[in-house]
Amino acid sequence: MKLSRIAGLYVPIVTILGYVFLFAPLVVLVIYSFNAGRSTVVWTGFSMDWYVQALNDRGLQRGLQVSAIVAVLSAIISTAIGTSAALAVIKRPFPAKNLFSTLLIAPLVLPEIVLAVGMLVATVWSGLALGYLTLVAGHVLVSVPFTFLIVRAAAATLDPRLDEAAADLGAHGGQIFMRVTLPLLLPAILSATLLSAIISFDNFVMSTFVSGVGTTPLPIQIYAMLKTGLTPKINALGTMLIGVNVLAILLVMGRYLKTVRGTGQ
Amino acid sequence: MPNDKKSEPDKTGRPAVELVDVCKVFDTSATPPAYAVDHLSLKIASGEFFTFLGPSGCGKTTTLRMIAGFESPTAGKILLEGHDVSGLPAHMRNTNTVFQSYALFPHLSVEDNVAFGLAVKRVPRSERGDRVAAALDLVRMRHAAGRKPSELSGGQQQRIALARALVNEPSVLLLDEPFGALDLKLRREMQIEVKEMQRRLGITFIFVTHDQEEALTMSDRIAVMSTGVVRQIDDPVGIYERPTDRFTAGFIGDMNMLSATVLERQDGVVEVLAADTRLKLKTNAELPAGKDCTIAMRPEALTFMRDSADDAAFAGKVESAVYVGTDRLYNIRLQTGEAMTVRVRNSRADSVLRIGEKVSLFCPSSAIHLLSDQDKK
Ligand SMILES: Nc1ncnc2c1ncn2[C@@H]1O[C@H](COP(=O)(O)OP(=O)(O)O)[C@@H](O)[C@H]1O
Ligand SMILES: [Mg+2]
Repeated sequence: MKLSRIAGLYVPIVTILGYVFLFAPLVVLVIYSFNAGRSTVVWTGFSMDWYVQALNDRGLQRGLQVSAIVAVLSAIISTAIGTSAALAVIKRPFPAKNLFSTLLIAPLVLPEIVLAVGMLVATVWSGLALGYLTLVAGHVLVSVPFTFLIVRAAAATLDPRLDEAAADLGAHGGQIFMRVTLPLLLPAILSATLLSAIISFDNFVMSTFVSGVGTTPLPIQIYAMLKTGLTPKINALGTMLIGVNVLAILLVMGRYLKTVRGTGQ
Repeated sequence: MPNDKKSEPDKTGRPAVELVDVCKVFDTSATPPAYAVDHLSLKIASGEFFTFLGPSGCGKTTTLRMIAGFESPTAGKILLEGHDVSGLPAHMRNTNTVFQSYALFPHLSVEDNVAFGLAVKRVPRSERGDRVAAALDLVRMRHAAGRKPSELSGGQQQRIALARALVNEPSVLLLDEPFGALDLKLRREMQIEVKEMQRRLGITFIFVTHDQEEALTMSDRIAVMSTGVVRQIDDPVGIYERPTDRFTAGFIGDMNMLSATVLERQDGVVEVLAADTRLKLKTNAELPAGKDCTIAMRPEALTFMRDSADDAAFAGKVESAVYVGTDRLYNIRLQTGEAMTVRVRNSRADSVLRIGEKVSLFCPSSAIHLLSDQDKK
């Protein structure tokens, strides 16, 4: 039957096309980052020059610095908020709990540009200057649904009897948190921190609105450079960013898989 | 079966635990309120092995959790060694709990699990090590000190849970169906071991189970509970041989029960009519003439031969017979319609009967229990 043979090929062909579509641009980007010439179309030979140039570009250096600072700060704050909220939702009874949860996750489904405009309006209204403060606040807003969801999922698998057992053995609230809850949630908390750092590092829309003069994060810096001409310097930088992100995601995934296996689910 | 050798609890001092009119209602909005625990009052002596025995849902766990401090009573008072602990949170009470689900800390080694209570109470490290080692020796788990709970079997985890509680030297140890998840053989071993441990340590154990045999073998005293109410408190022999309450009689072992009416009563002896038979029974119970009551007889107390002149006698017919090794079990239908179970030793001359045969059932009047009907819940 010819038809069924074609039908049988459908799945592998679509899968291969899908992967080509996903990864071809990245492969091209990585290859041309080693191109000796200026062109991103014509291959003229192997060279590491663009890497040297990218690393020596003052604008990119500054952007990288801003992005790193904002990523670290916003990740810490976002994880602290997400973890506290997750523990409150899982462990304590309080009125309007579902509404509280939904509102925390809302930034996930709202268009980010709306959030960004809102942040900008709020900044202008409060009279604060655009800078690190607004960048960090904006990135926390974007990443807090993720940290909340990750830690909540882990906290939901905790046996509530463990808290009772700890209290029974004489531990007060703080000791229960430090000796039981925190160690058991640590893998999830680390994943949440790493993920929110990546989200911050990659963020573009929110950053466009809330970054100030002198605090331009890396993605916006790169975008600005495109206007003055596309050179393999961008490719070199892109390749390095892919490297960093892949490393971070592997760490998160490794942690995540460990947690999943640890709880036996 | 009933345990005659009971260790004598210290009855001189104040009770280790006292419950005064303790009630627990979970859903206070319901009318009438559903009592999980219904006006419970009792005293548990220091060093006693006290068991709450009753079917699932009768309020045993809730009672235990109120003593531990995980639930607060809706009404009433709980005293630990004479002090009202009603406002005291769990971590400030000198009780420790062994949970049915073990609730060991999965991220800590066996050693650190056992050391947990000492660590949060800031017991010096050197002393901690010795006490943890001693507790692990007590449950014969010293060799597993470095392992994680997930690497241990259910029975081993239960031992660690015991050690983790006992290392704190609590004045009262609470055990909620601790052997519920173990297989029968292991369960029997643990029962004997834990009972022995309690005798040696002299700590008050409050034990919860729905297994009557477990309660009878381990306890100094048993409180039989149903629907949030304690029906009878007595030692195992008393619970088994002298039930005073219809629920207790039906719950502990097998029991034949017949509805009866009091005909007359005079100084400690009542004459009752049950299954068309007049019986004279000794009792202290408040049973005026005309009152309904229940008489109860164990299957093994009934015979087909009159052993003594004043044995009670009932006429009936053999409906079925089952051979169970040492004994035979017969179902007898009385002339008045009630079904009775009889258990006869095979060694007895009257042990073999044919199905359909007409028989007389005899029971010594000392083995007939007279139960009041007021707790007919
Ligand atoms: N947290 C709770 N919320 C509502 N009802 C409860 C709760 N815990 C127990 N109950 C109810 O209280 C009654 C007694 O329960 P429990 O003490 O667990 O019984 P047992 O341990 O004897 O099986 C049951 O009817 C049960 O449904
Ligand atoms: Mg229970």
